Amino acid sequence: MPSEVKMPQLGMNQDSAVIVSWLKAAGEKVAAGEAIFEVETDKATVEVEAAADGFLAGIRAPEGADVPVGDVIAMIVDREAEVGEHESAATAPDGPAEAPPTQPAPVPSPAPEPNEAEVAAPFTTVPSAIAAGRILASPLAKRVASEQGIDLAALRASGVSEPIHAGDLARAHAGGLSILSARVEGGALAALLERSEGASRTALFAAFAASAWRAAVEDAAVSIAIRGLDGSITPYPADAGADAALSLIDLCDTRLDSFAPAGGTPALAAAREGDAFLLTLSFNEDRLPFPTAAALLDAIAARVENPIRQLL
Amino acid sequence: MRSITLSQAVNEAIAEEMRRDETVFLIGEDVAEAGTPFKVTSGLVEEFGTGRVIDTPIAEPGFSGLAVGAAMTGARPIVDLMFGDFLFLVMDQLCNQAAKAHYMSGGKLNVPMVLRTNLGATRRSAAQHSQSLHALVAHIPGLKVAMPSSAYEAKGLMKTAIRDNNPVVIFEDKLMYQDKAPVPEEEFLIPFGEANILREGRDVTLIGTSSMRQVCEAAAEMLAGDGISAEVIDPRTIVPLDAATLLESVKKTSRAIVVDEGHQNFGTTAEIAARISEKAFYHLDAPVIRMGAMDVPVPFSPALEDLTVPTPEKVAESARRIVAGELIHAL
Repeated sequence: MPSEVKMPQLGMNQDSAVIVSWLKAAGEKVAAGEAIFEVETDKATVEVEAAADGFLAGIRAPEGADVPVGDVIAMIVDREAEVGEHESAATAPDGPAEAPPTQPAPVPSPAPEPNEAEVAAPFTTVPSAIAAGRILASPLAKRVASEQGIDLAALRASGVSEPIHAGDLARAHAGGLSILSARVEGGALAALLERSEGASRTALFAAFAASAWRAAVEDAAVSIAIRGLDGSITPYPADAGADAALSLIDLCDTRLDSFAPAGGTPALAAAREGDAFLLTLSFNEDRLPFPTAAALLDAIAARVENPIRQLL
Repeated sequence: MRSITLSQAVNEAIAEEMRRDETVFLIGEDVAEAGTPFKVTSGLVEEFGTGRVIDTPIAEPGFSGLAVGAAMTGARPIVDLMFGDFLFLVMDQLCNQAAKAHYMSGGKLNVPMVLRTNLGATRRSAAQHSQSLHALVAHIPGLKVAMPSSAYEAKGLMKTAIRDNNPVVIFEDKLMYQDKAPVPEEEFLIPFGEANILREGRDVTLIGTSSMRQVCEAAAEMLAGDGISAEVIDPRTIVPLDAATLLESVKKTSRAIVVDEGHQNFGTTAEIAARISEKAFYHLDAPVIRMGAMDVPVPFSPALEDLTVPTPEKVAESARRIVAGELIHAL
């Protein structure tokens, strides 16, 4: 008995998936449990295993096709000789509306490469934005996002989990700020501050940030604006000009978690989370590209975690 | 202000209206000598006599039909249906005759009749004496449906019902007859179609009919302890329904739970939830949740019966889940 290979349901709300690649060609021998193709859902790329032993035949969906869940995309036949039968059905020029031909193809080819133009017929390849799946968001969240010009897809990509609710939109405020955060063990820094009398934690954060900036962004001195909870702004280093490239706020003595000021200047916030430090970097990807921002925050986090790095 | 029981409130409303208008009369099983099994009408026969407080045989279709005819010809009958479950017996008199007479007669006939009956489970009365069947009659155009949630509403709505020129079905919760609430001594009426906001809130709207109002109020109290601010609204009449007040509240809170003691399937909760979903869709941050009675015949076993009705705990749990943004449709 030939068995059907169907597009599996891989996620709760998934109604289709994109075939990334076929790992087996038509006519190839497959064993039950062996991966035969790879699909991409909105969350991950997954290998799909054969459900039966046999030979892969009648591949109906080419790589790149977005296929509805449950659709038959190939067959696994018992004997190699049956491969051609299914191949011809799949490549029939009239597409799926036509009944499959009743006569077997005369000459089974051992492992024909599927002709993309022909096998693509049953499925249309949809633009990636749609292929990525519908975004699960409440009606209110959708309305507010549309009113405020917030891109829900970008919000999801930034790590906001679905369903997206109105409250999640706060993360996308200030016209497209991206936010990175890091949680860092604070024991070493706390010990350092305890031993060095008169050392200012805020100044230390600024020094770490400046050093990390030099390592991750550009090899030059950076001017930092240290924002106080009273609204004050202190330049770092003390002789820096008014045009700060980075702002810093130290929330460790408060119950606050993070602060992402509006505007385009990258902003670093440091807060306590138990014994650890919570570092948040908010930035505009137009001005500070994501890879640079990630490297910067990682470098700052490394210095907070192990202040010895600062001395090296 | 004095507090009186729901029983006393209904009794007062009927007595006041009978004194005010001599065309008002009361008819039903055990309404005169026995004062009904719930002692709601005790004392009325002594004041108004057996000509206006009429005991009938066990024949609901007969005395309901009699009342429809009396109403068409100038009287204002109050029909006492001992249990809401007996509505099935009077469906033709109520839904085919009373509800449609004004329309069928081209406006020549009115049926100013009140059918007062009850709802509510957990009285250990088993499946044929425990149903909450208000959705059945709310479905029929031409009938108004009032659902008092305390002694105060019971009195004010009953007086309005008696003065209404259309047939009104009024459902009292049979478990609330001994519950006391402040009721003014001076005369008052509660207009139909005006919901009552009992508690203002920010995060979720709890809509409770009849005794489910108390369930919602208790749930709101529990939720307050979790930092969730719930608004509680009693629609008071489901026909007409004060949709505007409900929608205004849901637009503010963005979430709603509708609680009612009728069966959940095809019920009052479904109707109210659908209206909210249609009219406040773009204000909703969570699916509108229906909480009705379980879709089973009401069990006689007390342990099982208690499981079939919404409780403050269940309402609070649902509220916590939608406020937390859980993916409800996948559950």
